[in-house]
Amino acid sequence: MNIGKQFKEGLLTQNPVLVQVLGMCSTLAITTSFFNGLGMGVAVTIILTLSNVIISAIRKIVPDKIRIAMFIVVIAGFVTMVDLLLQAFVPALSESLGVFIPLIVVNCIILGRAEAFSYKNGIVASFFDGIFQGIGYTLVLLAMCIIREFLGKGSFGGGLLNGGAGIQIFPADYGVGMLTLPVGGFLTLACLIALMQWALSKNKK
Amino acid sequence: MSNTKVSMDPKYIIKLTVTLFLTCVVVAGLLGGVNAITADKIAASNWQKTVEAMSAVVADPASTNFSDAMELTDAMTAAATAAGGTLDSVYEAQVNGQAVGYAVKVVSSGSQGNIEMMVGVDTDGTVTGVSIVKNSETAGIGSKVMANEPLATGVGVLDQFVGKSAADGTLTVGANVDAITGATVSSRGVTAGVNAALAAAGAIG
Repeated sequence: MNIGKQFKEGLLTQNPVLVQVLGMCSTLAITTSFFNGLGMGVAVTIILTLSNVIISAIRKIVPDKIRIAMFIVVIAGFVTMVDLLLQAFVPALSESLGVFIPLIVVNCIILGRAEAFSYKNGIVASFFDGIFQGIGYTLVLLAMCIIREFLGKGSFGGGLLNGGAGIQIFPADYGVGMLTLPVGGFLTLACLIALMQWALSKNKK
Repeated sequence: MSNTKVSMDPKYIIKLTVTLFLTCVVVAGLLGGVNAITADKIAASNWQKTVEAMSAVVADPASTNFSDAMELTDAMTAAATAAGGTLDSVYEAQVNGQAVGYAVKVVSSGSQGNIEMMVGVDTDGTVTGVSIVKNSETAGIGSKVMANEPLATGVGVLDQFVGKSAADGTLTVGANVDAITGATVSSRGVTAGVNAALAAAGAIG
């Protein structure tokens, strides 16, 4: 087990969004304000870590043929718990993320890591894998939120700072409004993936 | 052919079934526990949201009290359905014990799911306010309508309904209601809800 290597993989060389290209739906849809990105990132990180640990713990008793069904049951259980807890204690976030919280069940990052990592590795390694992959996901979300919010609306920290309005850096009218629409999500993500691939291939040489 | 043959060993099949069943039982039990903790809190936060939503749609929130939910008659329900929405509940708004209007909660369909909204209607049948209770509209697009963003005219998209009454005829996006660019379906959903609320209020006693 090598925590340093796992850390580097989760954030850079095996980044769930930019390299493995998993979890696209939520990445494109909710990255319109800083608060959304942070909330979604933290929710996914918590669920990913918990489900990684549980799946790793039960991996020896899970029959091979029904492992996917077992993974989904475990993941759906955690997602529903987080959904209920958010509704009860952070209603603002629950409202703003809407349907994307229940949809974490089918977020490929979680099922992907269950199948690719925690089903084959120990509990401690799976725990750190969950944390680092979750942080990798969160960082990409935050980067996309910051880019789309700044260029699209001229603000920073929407939903969180300055009473929810965000800090206005330049007037919203001068922003590229398209970036806050879904098409802007695709464009921003494409640029980030291209940048990441360029950086990775340059590093290899 | 032998390697594609499904193993029909009864013991193995029973083992798969029991494992999956037990997992589901454990997960369901845990979810029940979480639900028991959060249900009251979610209900309380929903009622508080309902009161806030009702206060937002009456002319004089500070001195207005609200009755418990009124009994719905078939005529009210049918009128709302005919106008394109589903009647959820009606609360009487009272100032000094005198009825001044109704807070009508209706559900209409938006672009991503149902929109639950509160519409204030005074005793003359004029809209005194519209506010959204619950929605799952797309963050950044339909959510603009939900957040009452200003139209080109500077009036909020929900505020434009204030002062409209059944005398204006059926409200239609493009004719006597303006939509937010890119969020036509969400705007239509809200308009259908207002029509339904006006129809239901007209059918009261």
